Amino acid sequence: MTLLIPTPVTRRRTRFAAWDVPLAVILSFLFVTLVIAWSLFPSLFAGYDPYFGDTSRKLLPPSGEFWFGTDHLGRDVFSRVVHGSWSSVTSAAIAVCIGLVVGGFLGLVSGFVAGWTDVIVARFIDVLLAIPNFLLAVVIVSSFGFQTINVAIATGIASVAIFARVMRAETLKASTSVFVEASGLLGGSRWHILLRHILPNAYRSILALAVLQFGSCILIIAGLAFLGYGDPPPAADWGVLVSNGKDYPSSPWLVFAPSLVIVATVLAINRISRWLRR
Amino acid sequence: MNHRSNYIGYAIARLAQSIVVIALAYTFTFLIINVLPGDPITNMLLDPENGFSPADIEPIIAYYGLDKPVLEQLWIALSRFVVGDLGISLRSNLPVSGLVLSALPSTLVLALSALAVALVVAFLLAFASQNLPPRYGQGLLRLLPAASLSVPAFIIGIFLIQIFAFQFGLFRITSPNSFAATAFAAIALGIPVSAQIAEVLIANLDHEARQEYFSVARSRGLSRFELFAHHQFRPSSLPVVTMIALAIGELLGGSLITESIFGRTGIGSLVQGAVSSQDYPVIQAVVSLAAAVFVIVNLIADLVYPLLDPRLRTRNRGREPLADEPLVDTEAVAK
Repeated sequence: MTLLIPTPVTRRRTRFAAWDVPLAVILSFLFVTLVIAWSLFPSLFAGYDPYFGDTSRKLLPPSGEFWFGTDHLGRDVFSRVVHGSWSSVTSAAIAVCIGLVVGGFLGLVSGFVAGWTDVIVARFIDVLLAIPNFLLAVVIVSSFGFQTINVAIATGIASVAIFARVMRAETLKASTSVFVEASGLLGGSRWHILLRHILPNAYRSILALAVLQFGSCILIIAGLAFLGYGDPPPAADWGVLVSNGKDYPSSPWLVFAPSLVIVATVLAINRISRWLRR
Repeated sequence: MNHRSNYIGYAIARLAQSIVVIALAYTFTFLIINVLPGDPITNMLLDPENGFSPADIEPIIAYYGLDKPVLEQLWIALSRFVVGDLGISLRSNLPVSGLVLSALPSTLVLALSALAVALVVAFLLAFASQNLPPRYGQGLLRLLPAASLSVPAFIIGIFLIQIFAFQFGLFRITSPNSFAATAFAAIALGIPVSAQIAEVLIANLDHEARQEYFSVARSRGLSRFELFAHHQFRPSSLPVVTMIALAIGELLGGSLITESIFGRTGIGSLVQGAVSSQDYPVIQAVVSLAAAVFVIVNLIADLVYPLLDPRLRTRNRGREPLADEPLVDTEAVAK
């Protein structure tokens, strides 16, 4: 029965399926693009100065003019969220790059070069996994100094382990496969096998993981900023905004608005990662 | 007989590996704290703002061996750590182990109640995911775990405080150790963990529902509840043991921020205080203890797991075990 289906049809169907992106994923992409645009060109989106307040209009609830209301100094919260996206987004990007490069390299070496190298690297990954992520980041920030860039580096180091573990598993899976054995028998060098067979096979799950980690790095960075380990106010990092807002319980929008942006961003990123992994 | 000695061998190897990992975690933390920024303890002691007199500093330097090479300092610290001596706090001059012990009960209560919340929520979600009307109920419900993974504990915590403390007055944040305040703190810490457990549980339940023995059981006319409890839930629930062990790290790390929001004192506030006052021995102790707890809980989970899963008992019978497979012969262990 299945043999009777002509191949061109199946091809066209799979190609169509490749473009068949669910609506939620399209919306997620749009939202993430919007956030990235905020961080790159904040002045296009923010109508007010994020650092200068007008106390005559302090603690105003959200309205047509101030979408997210104003804070205790009369600063427009929406403008602060838009301006704060730069440090949140770039910190998360730096963290993911560190995790991806260092962790990916460790995992690749450990999975591909067997023997003592593997044993040592695998134990090192165990050690990194054993220390709770958030605590590890706190320790690193506390010894580097309280700055947003150090928060990014710390979060990156804390996410090395997960990248290394996934990369190692992918490398092991690919390097025991028949096509790698065949390539070796045909005279393919180790570099050839690594670049042509193992990396392309690991690529997809590593990409999905990187996107997922981008989301969780935003959460960790917001948490560290919330505790005051990043740049101090008037910096407008999202975690700082939530932390400032919680002191004004009678103006709940000060907390709700930045929280909503954090959650929506991470939700969108997670949806994209899920779609990549499918 | 053979299987039993295999299990014991596996247990000993796992135990040895765990001890190595704990010692390495201590070393790694030590290197981050002491080597990267270059002798922070001496710098902190010499900083005139911190108000240490030379007479105060001398015994501290001698105690930690700060005038010796780093490797020797590490050796001194590590040999104390092995016998349970966590050093002396630079700020309060008290033994760190005492500080940790007095902070521990509150954090333990919080973490365990958060775990309980996480398990209850995860099991409820998992049960509902199989038994609600498929089209709308299940579809919406299955979005929940993924969605709540995107909400960090500190946002949940602040929302709970804003809504239940300030609007409804169900608890007061001025008395953070009251039952209601603890319960809400546990919810904030537990929800992200419950999402992870629920995701795995729902995936496993779906997997079991596709198995042939499940269809057989259904065609035998079992009641819906029996079907769920015995043929779907039981085999699905075992990986939860592993999930709980992995969640320990998140509960410990998350307690830092949850304690800060709900104004509780505990390990989290101890670390926060130590970080802001540069009390490095306290930071070192808490981080390496957290790693030790994580490693030990995971060791227990790995060792108990084969005993819980009847499939692992029978699978190994009558053939040579694979090298990297956890093994056990429960009949032998039960004797």
